[in-house]
Amino acid sequence: MEPDVSIETFSMIRIAILPIGKIPHQTLRDYYSMFLHQHTIPLSSISSFYTEEQKSPFTNQPWDTGSLRFKFILGGSPPSPWEDFQSNRKILAVIGVCHCPLSPDLDSVIEEFNGVCKGYASARVTRCFGFFPCDSQLEDGGKKGDNLRLFPPADHQTQEMHLQTMMQEIAASLLMEFEKYVFQAESSGTILKTPLDSQASLSSEEVIKAKKRRLGRVQKTIGDYCLLAGSPVDANAHYSTALELARLTTDYFWYAGALEGSICALLIDPISQINPALEDEVRRRYNSVISHYKKSFIQESAQRVSPLSFELEANLKLARYLCRRELAKEAVELLTSAADGAKSLIDATDRLILYVEIARLFGTLGYKRKAAFFSRQVAQLYLQQDNNLAAISALQVLALTTKAYCVQSRASISDNSHINEVGSSHADSGKMYHQSVVSLFESQWSTLQMVVLREILLSAVRAGDPLAAWSAAARLLRSYYPLITPVGQNGLARALANSSERLPYGTRSSDPALPFVRLYSFPLHSSQMDIVKRNPAREDWWAGSAPSGPFIYTPFSKGEPNDSSKKELIWIVGEPVQILVELANPCGFNLKVDSIYLSVHSGNLDPFPISVDLPPNSSKVIALSGIPTSVGLVMIPGCIVHCFGVITEHLFRDVDNLLHGAAEGLVLSDPFRSCGSLRLKNVPVPNISVVPPLPLLVSHFVGGDGAIILYEGEIRDIYISLANAGTVPVEQAHISLSGKNQDSVLSIPYEALNSVLPLKPGAEVILPVTLKAWKLGLVDLDNASGSMGRQLKDSSSPSLLIHYAGPLTDCEDPPKGSAVPPGRRLVVPLNICVLQGLSFVKARLLSMEIPAHVGENLPKPVYVDNSASKEANVSETKMDGLVKIDPFRGSWGLRFLELELSNPTDVVFEISVSVQLDSTDDKLSVGQDANVYGYPKTRIDRDFSARVLIPLEDFKLPILDGSFFMKDFKLDEAAGSRNSSFSEKSAKAELKASINNLISRIKVRWQSGRNSSGELNTKDAIQSALKASAMDVLLPDPLTFGFRLVRNNLSQESNDSRPKGSVLAHDMTPMEVLVRNNTKEMIRMSLSITCRDVAGENCVEDTKATVLWSGVLNGITIEAPPLKESKHSFSLYFLVPGEYTLVAAAVVEDANDILRARAKTNSPDEPIFCRGPPFRVRVIGTA
Amino acid sequence: MATTACFIIVSRDDIPIYEAEVGSATKREDAAQMHQFILHAALDIVQDLAWTTSAMYLKAIDRFNDLVVSVYVTAGHTRLMLLHDSRNDDGIKSFFQEVHELYIKILLNPLYLPGSRIASSHFDTKVRALARKYL
Repeated sequence: MEPDVSIETFSMIRIAILPIGKIPHQTLRDYYSMFLHQHTIPLSSISSFYTEEQKSPFTNQPWDTGSLRFKFILGGSPPSPWEDFQSNRKILAVIGVCHCPLSPDLDSVIEEFNGVCKGYASARVTRCFGFFPCDSQLEDGGKKGDNLRLFPPADHQTQEMHLQTMMQEIAASLLMEFEKYVFQAESSGTILKTPLDSQASLSSEEVIKAKKRRLGRVQKTIGDYCLLAGSPVDANAHYSTALELARLTTDYFWYAGALEGSICALLIDPISQINPALEDEVRRRYNSVISHYKKSFIQESAQRVSPLSFELEANLKLARYLCRRELAKEAVELLTSAADGAKSLIDATDRLILYVEIARLFGTLGYKRKAAFFSRQVAQLYLQQDNNLAAISALQVLALTTKAYCVQSRASISDNSHINEVGSSHADSGKMYHQSVVSLFESQWSTLQMVVLREILLSAVRAGDPLAAWSAAARLLRSYYPLITPVGQNGLARALANSSERLPYGTRSSDPALPFVRLYSFPLHSSQMDIVKRNPAREDWWAGSAPSGPFIYTPFSKGEPNDSSKKELIWIVGEPVQILVELANPCGFNLKVDSIYLSVHSGNLDPFPISVDLPPNSSKVIALSGIPTSVGLVMIPGCIVHCFGVITEHLFRDVDNLLHGAAEGLVLSDPFRSCGSLRLKNVPVPNISVVPPLPLLVSHFVGGDGAIILYEGEIRDIYISLANAGTVPVEQAHISLSGKNQDSVLSIPYEALNSVLPLKPGAEVILPVTLKAWKLGLVDLDNASGSMGRQLKDSSSPSLLIHYAGPLTDCEDPPKGSAVPPGRRLVVPLNICVLQGLSFVKARLLSMEIPAHVGENLPKPVYVDNSASKEANVSETKMDGLVKIDPFRGSWGLRFLELELSNPTDVVFEISVSVQLDSTDDKLSVGQDANVYGYPKTRIDRDFSARVLIPLEDFKLPILDGSFFMKDFKLDEAAGSRNSSFSEKSAKAELKASINNLISRIKVRWQSGRNSSGELNTKDAIQSALKASAMDVLLPDPLTFGFRLVRNNLSQESNDSRPKGSVLAHDMTPMEVLVRNNTKEMIRMSLSITCRDVAGENCVEDTKATVLWSGVLNGITIEAPPLKESKHSFSLYFLVPGEYTLVAAAVVEDANDILRARAKTNSPDEPIFCRGPPFRVRVIGTA
Repeated sequence: MATTACFIIVSRDDIPIYEAEVGSATKREDAAQMHQFILHAALDIVQDLAWTTSAMYLKAIDRFNDLVVSVYVTAGHTRLMLLHDSRNDDGIKSFFQEVHELYIKILLNPLYLPGSRIASSHFDTKVRALARKYL
């Protein structure tokens, strides 16, 4: 059988083209390709070379329209045994091709050519073409034999023109040779034999038949030559005669041959082309041809030779003629029956050719799967041949089938756009998507696919094509690993390794093998290097750009042009970035990935390769990093993997499709799931853009970045060091606070930061921040007692937000559009861990009275805002300064605030209390810190409680007013209405203010260890303590009593010797009792004065009275005007020296409601009794 | 019963959703592969032929060597394909019709996604029983 047969084959003249001498491979190919353009030579163009020696036998030759057709047999071929039967099988001309520069000796060229021509006995014309001869050769060549033709060196076009002329010459020579042959054949007895009938012995009867037969065969052969000479009408005439003779002699084989020739004549005759029934005619005749070939089958010679191949060829020829979509059914039938004949073919090569032709015709019909099926048959036949060249052919044929079986190599898919389009546009239209997924990872015809891939692998190994073998093994392993046993997987891994050994280092393959790589996540910028859009129009340029609030959607962010589903990611030139990818090795062998790095199609990222080891059935998340190198968009479609010795690109999209398919149950298995990895949502690839370098601040806490552990109320300074690690100076910076407990940051170093701007690259600044630990709530207390760890993770700590930015515009290029470089935000979390510290149990006010001495002067009354008493009492020690005269009671008194503290922690606390004095004291202060009174430190051990006494300045309100009781004591409405609401309010406010004033001046500081110290928040405690006892302690008594010595002028000089304020025994001592009314109303009272000795005995009224008196001591009726004093004078005479105590008391008459309220009486009839503080009288002298 | 037979259901997307070797011949792996190759190739013929007739049963539409492919196309363009070496036309037709009924029952299952693989073992058993009965 012959390849590429068609009906027109009969009209083609075969010319062998043979290389003569040494010719480089590529040059030879170029020469061959020049010939291929010359396949048709019109008869009209050869007339100049044609000389009609005799009357031409081709009487009806169409000189105007006809042509000679050449079929070039490159490299030649051995003669066919069927040459006589089909003259077109003869090689009628031989053309030698010689590359003159490599074959200088033309004689030897001619010799070689002549030698070669001997092998082609049927050749009627021989020519040797010499290309690119040198001048001497040209000169020489003219003298050599007429077979040598030299083409002077020229450009390609000129040479083709030369060649065309030469071919026309050859065509003319051939035509003349054909004429000669026809004359010869008609006249002399040419014997025409085929392998079919060579053995048959002839009986006498058959001799006559054989003569006729010979005649018929000669007619058929002449017809063949007519066809070759381009004269279909002549051919038809001869074929008709031949058909008649063959029919008579039952020479079926030749009958069929002549019939085939007549069909060809019919087809190439332009006149018959207009016949509408041509197709039916061809079909009818060809069916007859096929049936006659069948009839010519001779049983006895079937073992040796058979006309079957002609029958099949006839089938193929008809099928090729009918090979159109609308006649597909017929063509398929023909091809199917041709395929049936294959098993009867003796020669394996014939079968090969048959299958090749069938596959080609099915391919022409558009039956890809059928074509693939027969191609695979061809490949199997090749593989049976078991040699290298056959294996290469098998590999090539199998490569053609991969598309139909959906196992093609990526390299063979020329345009990726096809997949792109499938991947994107059908992403959301369900059904179509399935198909695209399936076509990418078609598992459903997996049996076929695996077989094909295995065959490709086998043939590639045999053909010695390591890359094809690698690619096939990779496809097999990647797509079908679930169907392959671990042993098989190991075998494939070995095949990959073996193939790569034979490949040069750094070979790339378009088909990825293992591992499976999928995108795990795009880590956004850490809070340390967040990027913030910059609004140059505003002073606070960072405002509004950072996502604020917990809402994903905010109605204010409308008008954003980009799709919200696509995230935006900004990378910065020169700053390393990371992408997390997950690798999976679902196979049963240890996978070593030599290097894996990001594949960057945009070329502006420098990826860093890393190597990974994946144990069997495992997956791993790894971080791939790189450094952006230039501004622009970054496209990262996948990873470049160097594994099994070959570099491949693994696209994320493929694996996404695979996973999607696995989720739908369309694909065999999800490699990540089988490795035990969790299911992961599809990670969208964000739009990544690279921007020019920005400053980069890096922060750390001086003295360690650990948590700052503070006790409640502790105040501490911490130092944060900020360094510019970028390459651009920081020109703008701003600090703000965020998070909970913002008030725990006492001071923010705005100034310190602004003073160092611009912060040059590499520069560092240390910012002090003062922190005060907040108070733990109840929940926090539980946590604190429970576990420290939870406390640390607690997000109750505040953060410092530092917005900073580089220069507003780059000096080198003016901003195009909105090219303001963005700013950044640094979040410095103040990782504060608050521990429970001292706890406050309770507070109360205590008061202590020290009796005053009766002197010549009364203690001066002190009003709330007047510090006159202190003036008198500025003493050597600060402690003493607080012991002062109670201006309303007239006695010495000391007030304490008692705080009870407990220490539940495991460290020791030291408490120090300080009270800040009024600012008016400043002039009196001795030292710098004299206005702060310090007290000795109190130490509280762990698990102990302690009471701290804080001496308070004594103070009272000046007037006892009804307003104080209005709200608190709920007196009768009359009192309420009497007082104006204004004074009531102002008085209350005054009280409150004075309490607050007092509280704010008390500071309880504690210290624990060497460096932790703080302040106890006692405000609330003191307030509650004061509230309870404020009325008793702070409100003035309605009446103030005081005693005073009255000196006369006489005794004044004698007083010099005795101490001031003392009284002599046996001396009349005049005294006054002063009663001050602290209310706004007149008070009438009945005053009594008693005097007691040290033992407390009344020494005035008793029978054994030791004190004599003059004046009235009991029942003195006095009226004290509002806010005024009244005096009552009397004299005492002490008989015995010693200490005496004078006490004044009064019963108020007609007491009003205020007094009653102050005295807390229960019934209106109860007498109101006021008693003054005791006054001490020291009586000196001898008894 | 036929010595060699391979039954396959191909979805409208040209994906096999059910495969069964139902012949009585001893199973050989390469033969089974060959059967699939032949059936896969026959899809090309079916795709044209299915539109030329209103009948669902397309009879024997393709052959390779002595193996014949008979096809039955459902209204939803699901193709029931049988590769066989026997010539029991009536039996094959009945086989197809009964399998079609079974297939419709599978389709009616709300949990079955049309076009996906038929994994029901009940279906498999029934098909094999039908094959024994008719082929």
